[in-house]
Amino acid sequence: MIETLYVAWRYVTYNKIKTVTLVACVTLIGVLPLALQLFLNESARQLLSRAESTPLVMGAKGSSLDLAMNTLYFDDEVPELISMAAAEEITQSDLAAPIPVYARFQARGFPIVGTSFDYFDVRGLEIEQGRSLALLGECVLGATVAERLGLKPGDSLVSSPETVFDIAGIYPLKMKVVGVLQRAYTSDDLAVFVDLKSAWVIQGLGHGHEDLARAKDPSVILDRSDRNVIANAKLVQYTEITESNLDDFHFHGDPEAYPVSAVIVIPHDVKSGTILRGRYVEQDTSYQMITPKEVIDGLLANIFRIKNVLDAVIFIVGLATVLAITLVFTLSLRLRQREIHTIFKLGCSRLTMVRLLGTEILIILLTSAALCGALVVVVNYYSHDLVRVLFIR
Amino acid sequence: MELRKTAWAFSLFLYCTAVFGLDTLSVYTVNYPLKYFAERIGAEHVEVSFPAPADIDPAFWLPDAETIIQYQQADLILLNGADYARWIDKVSLPRLRLVNTSRVFQEHYLTVANATTHSHGLEGEHSHVGTFFTTWLDFSQAAQQARVIADALVRARPAHRASFEKNYAALEKGLLTIDRRLQSKVEAMSERRLFASHPIYQYLARRYGLDIKSVLWEPDELPSEEQWALLGRMLSSHPAATMIWEGPPLQASIDRLRALGVESIVFEPCANACNGQDFLSVMRRNAETLN
Repeated sequence: MIETLYVAWRYVTYNKIKTVTLVACVTLIGVLPLALQLFLNESARQLLSRAESTPLVMGAKGSSLDLAMNTLYFDDEVPELISMAAAEEITQSDLAAPIPVYARFQARGFPIVGTSFDYFDVRGLEIEQGRSLALLGECVLGATVAERLGLKPGDSLVSSPETVFDIAGIYPLKMKVVGVLQRAYTSDDLAVFVDLKSAWVIQGLGHGHEDLARAKDPSVILDRSDRNVIANAKLVQYTEITESNLDDFHFHGDPEAYPVSAVIVIPHDVKSGTILRGRYVEQDTSYQMITPKEVIDGLLANIFRIKNVLDAVIFIVGLATVLAITLVFTLSLRLRQREIHTIFKLGCSRLTMVRLLGTEILIILLTSAALCGALVVVVNYYSHDLVRVLFIR
Repeated sequence: MELRKTAWAFSLFLYCTAVFGLDTLSVYTVNYPLKYFAERIGAEHVEVSFPAPADIDPAFWLPDAETIIQYQQADLILLNGADYARWIDKVSLPRLRLVNTSRVFQEHYLTVANATTHSHGLEGEHSHVGTFFTTWLDFSQAAQQARVIADALVRARPAHRASFEKNYAALEKGLLTIDRRLQSKVEAMSERRLFASHPIYQYLARRYGLDIKSVLWEPDELPSEEQWALLGRMLSSHPAATMIWEGPPLQASIDRLRALGVESIVFEPCANACNGQDFLSVMRRNAETLN
């Protein structure tokens, strides 16, 4: 047996190119369906766990998938905005607790999530370093953001302009990093959290400048009347909120008209949730109330339908590969006629020949299986991050 | 025997924490009147904190990050509303635990007329001066604010509803007694024109039919000659015989006002701690000073 194994091993190591090609083919055919299944299971787990922990989401009428993906995973596709009046409507209903979310802006490629302090309680997010949000212009980083950007409490992070051509637009806001969250293994790890009001400052709805009625530099005043002072473009608006200029920051207009991308709704009980959903079914409302789990279930059903097609394709490709491998072995037997003849002349039986060829195939299959197992382990290890990068964000 | 002792001690601990500790509601407020109302209504079931330093006007205070974190950990945060304590717009607080005590009468907020507006960039005109905020000086409004606090406490601790309702009824009675007393005092006044050292008595004036014109004088500072000249000009169009101060003024100010035919009285708004006296006592005294 050892002799057979030795001769087979020498053969497969001598014919390196043929062996490597065969091992690669078998490995790929084995690893593809397994990796796909792993990815899909991880996607389903991630998508569903987040969706299940978010009872209801209220947003503007339109794509429920965009609304769910932006609110739950801070996807780049921002749904149509609604106003804070929606959150107030939920509060007034006395049926649920509203948590506004404004996931529109970015900082160095990571989403800036403007929300209320309650978000951290609802998601069970804990501070690992530093402290929680306290003052306007502060931010708390998800664990992955802090790791990838190499930031810690005391550092700062600048918001990115919405487009590169936004030259005359809003000043970027230099935010002070005050805390880093514990790793939650959710989209929260990849977000920069700010208070809702800080998000409005980023948008330009709130800003800070010196008091125009007491402006020290008269050249910033374009026109002054008894009732109104008009400033020109020279008026400097602060791009960083510090303790010394915090008092000069202010908001204009009705706070209930300020925008948010969605409102996470936590009903007091099942009945309250059902009543609330019923209220937003009517056609005359500009809001929609979605159940994220239903939306994500629908998305997963589509993904699994696509997976069935992929499975069929993989099966056909696998079958073709097996046939090709069979052909390779058959042809190699023909090429090895002289070698086989020599083995017979040396006194080996036909059975020995079969054992020799069987062992060669076994070596190739075992090597492929080992490689396949290793690849599956690697894919499994990185599946969480890969799913986030490839599918969710 | 040892086990029985331990079990007994543990039971006693559970009882004590239930009665004295765990059930206590942590309440933070933005001014002293709300603290007083919450303490009166909540009694032993609440622990009310108002962490502003005693020498500061809470309306213009900005707490530091550590104090804001204390607010964040409270079970309830009682706000005055009407743009009082603007620092709320500049900090992160849990929205679900905020209670705006004056929301029920927000349609009746008094707003600043003739405020200077400004404009810059693409925005339209806007003003940074907004709403008058000493809402509790109208004692019928103060009673409504106390009602909102009682409701919030009942929602947070329904088991103590009876106690909260009883305490609220007593507080409401005290507030409405002052309200009626002020009404009768003002009705008896022959001259309802007054000066105020600060523009904080708008709700008092509206509720009780007073005609108050305000200057910007500090009780512990002697007004400048410019400020005296301005008062002189105001006197010609508004010949009031009394000036209301929010705190005891300097004797020199009292004397010079008296020379102009204006008497000084103190009507403390009690936004911050009232020198160790409780809110109702100070307000009763305030009511009696009006003549």
